[in-house]
Amino acid sequence: MILQFEGVSYFYPETDRPALDGFHLTVQPGESILVAGASGSGKSTFCRASIGLIPHFHQGRLTGKVFVNGLDTVKHPVHELFRHAGLVFQNPDAQLFNQTVEAELVYGLENLGLRPSEIEKRLAWASRLAELDPLMNRSPHTLSGGEKQKVALGAILTLRPRLLLMDEPFTHLDPEGTEGLRGILRSLKSEGITLLIIEHRLHEIIEDVDRILVFHQGRCVKEGPPRQVLAGEIFDYGLNLPPLQRFFNDLGIKKPIFNVQEGIKELKKHPSLCPFHDHLMKPDTDSSKASPASTHPVVEIEDLWSAYDGHPVLRGIDLILRQGECVALLGRNGAGKTTLIKYLNGLLKPRKGFVRILNHDPLKKSVSELARYVSLVWQNPNDQIFRSTVREEVLTGPKMFKAYDPRWCNQLFERFDLLPLLSRSPFALSEGQKKRVSFAAALSIKPFLVVLDEPTAGQDEPSRSQLTSLLKQLREEGQTILFVTHDLEFAAEHANRWLVLSEGKLIADGAPDEVMAQTHLMIRGGLRPTQRFQLIQALHGLRKEET
Amino acid sequence: MKRSLLDPRSKLVLFGVATLILMAFSHPLFLLTSTGILILLVCLLRLFRTWVLFLKGLAFPVLTFFLIAWVAFDFETGWVSGLRLFTIGTVFFTFFQTTSPEDLSNGLLKMGCPYPFAFVMSASMQFIPFLIRRAQNIRDAQRSRGVPIDGGWRSIFYLPAFAGPLLVQSFKFADELAEAMEARGFGISGRRFRYEPRFRWFDWVVLGFSLLGLAVGLMIRFLSSQP
Repeated sequence: MILQFEGVSYFYPETDRPALDGFHLTVQPGESILVAGASGSGKSTFCRASIGLIPHFHQGRLTGKVFVNGLDTVKHPVHELFRHAGLVFQNPDAQLFNQTVEAELVYGLENLGLRPSEIEKRLAWASRLAELDPLMNRSPHTLSGGEKQKVALGAILTLRPRLLLMDEPFTHLDPEGTEGLRGILRSLKSEGITLLIIEHRLHEIIEDVDRILVFHQGRCVKEGPPRQVLAGEIFDYGLNLPPLQRFFNDLGIKKPIFNVQEGIKELKKHPSLCPFHDHLMKPDTDSSKASPASTHPVVEIEDLWSAYDGHPVLRGIDLILRQGECVALLGRNGAGKTTLIKYLNGLLKPRKGFVRILNHDPLKKSVSELARYVSLVWQNPNDQIFRSTVREEVLTGPKMFKAYDPRWCNQLFERFDLLPLLSRSPFALSEGQKKRVSFAAALSIKPFLVVLDEPTAGQDEPSRSQLTSLLKQLREEGQTILFVTHDLEFAAEHANRWLVLSEGKLIADGAPDEVMAQTHLMIRGGLRPTQRFQLIQALHGLRKEET
Repeated sequence: MKRSLLDPRSKLVLFGVATLILMAFSHPLFLLTSTGILILLVCLLRLFRTWVLFLKGLAFPVLTFFLIAWVAFDFETGWVSGLRLFTIGTVFFTFFQTTSPEDLSNGLLKMGCPYPFAFVMSASMQFIPFLIRRAQNIRDAQRSRGVPIDGGWRSIFYLPAFAGPLLVQSFKFADELAEAMEARGFGISGRRFRYEPRFRWFDWVVLGFSLLGLAVGLMIRFLSSQP
């Protein structure tokens, strides 16, 4: 066996709750395994213990035994284990520390003291597998998130580990990048490498794995083939189930359904398609998701152009956001989405083109003034936390603008479950809690427009559900919302309007189903229709056959 | 990055000697001639456009240096001091434009420098752009919620809003980085480089001329300072 955990418990220093609690596991060579579970369930700790970082790098209390390819991780230091097991960490930026991609790939090989001819051989093999040949002379910090992820993977692959662990590799990838990484993982599996992949978005990878492990409070509570595990009672473990499985579960069909073909097969088994059709169409008739009642523009953009280092980023954007709309901004990494949202609150000033924010000219107002009307919630909540308590953190905006409404702020504390945390330091919170603080801080000033940057990235199911109910509430209250996301299932669920950017151009603007029906635009934008949409299309076909 | 034919060690000595000589002499004619030679070198290495961009950053310290020396001494001392800083800045620019951090750390290792020191030096050069990007993100995030750190004197009161997150993230980042480096065998003995710097005949020539130039320069400087 390649990896074995024998009754492993681990406590991080100065904690009394185990991160791993009497953990047992055996992994055979060549297996591919998906590790799932809510945040804080012990997944990342498991990765660290699997390559010897626990106990050699992280102090704390470890009991039990971990064997990697037969080597006891307590007796063998990390530099003896790293030839057998490699880990691609969550944050690609923190693992790329060389000047070029090529230097990054050979770093581990140089440490191993290999001959130059062997280094060349491994470099060629890893760069082919991770599809890095066109990037070899680039500096890692100039690459996109998806490219960085591939470099981090390549840097581990050159070491030819028999066991490869990846901690949330799909988090920052766009749909094309996700598909690319899936292809690479399939190639690795065919090379006989054992894969252990940690991921919240189960549907991205579930069809490619042999086994799924479900973690809960430091224990592996379920394990087995994906279909067997997902057919069981797993609702308490905070898993983000594949969208079609959720759909069929809602209709009382407790079966693991991972793709559209399986969904169609299931539909054909039923004498009447009406309940399915009605259920699938339900979100579109939901009153809270109806078209906006108001025609009052919150933001108007006309022929906006933008460039960075001489390269065009936005090219002639025309756009009006109206009050009450919930808009999803979609497109590949590097399509210009982040640049565009920076114009919505004046962080970037238009040099060519016209922008009005609630009739204010951003050229004449500072960002601090415009922030009164438009709140941005960034992907990383750590970028804004600086106060000593959660209460002060949330009230920073209202006090700054002299717009403190105690009733509204108390409502927000309640809505975001912040009441028990108010006197705690925001630095000491979990990432999910910090995200809630940043949402509450953004809403505390009662902005006219809320902009969310990748709200679901790296979020587990409980946080995602919380976000879902929050967005529903806000839409019901008529709040104008725009969010940037790669999560099309989430975008289809919440937005009543999709904007698709491709190479700085707005190539599609309309209702989600209208946009998804335009296949050529979806391909141009690097997007793929949601499973629900594909099922609707299939259902229409089946109903025609029926009649 | 322009790769040079010279070994990083001989280049380090050459540019070190050039810096010392520029610091040792303050004759306006010498400095003007040096400036001409350096500009020619920059053009020959096809670095002119990058150099012009670099000058935007160098302009402020050069001007400050010039003004301080002018006010403290006289106009000639002022412009000579400014020009000296300008030439030394150009020497450093040329060195770092033609020497990658890896080459530099490999060269330092060959000169007997401890590996952790050489690595930290090259890695920190790599992380400056990363920290600049993080700082920009934090600034944008705080400005987006109305914290007035757009510039101006009021920004000083909100320094914690900028420095707090940056410090916390830098520590976290350093921790993650150390973990990733450990997982790829940082610091184990027997490291072997893919490209070992090799001293060739022209490196010896450059080294010889550099040392000769330094000796002659110091002698002239010493003799010219005699009464």
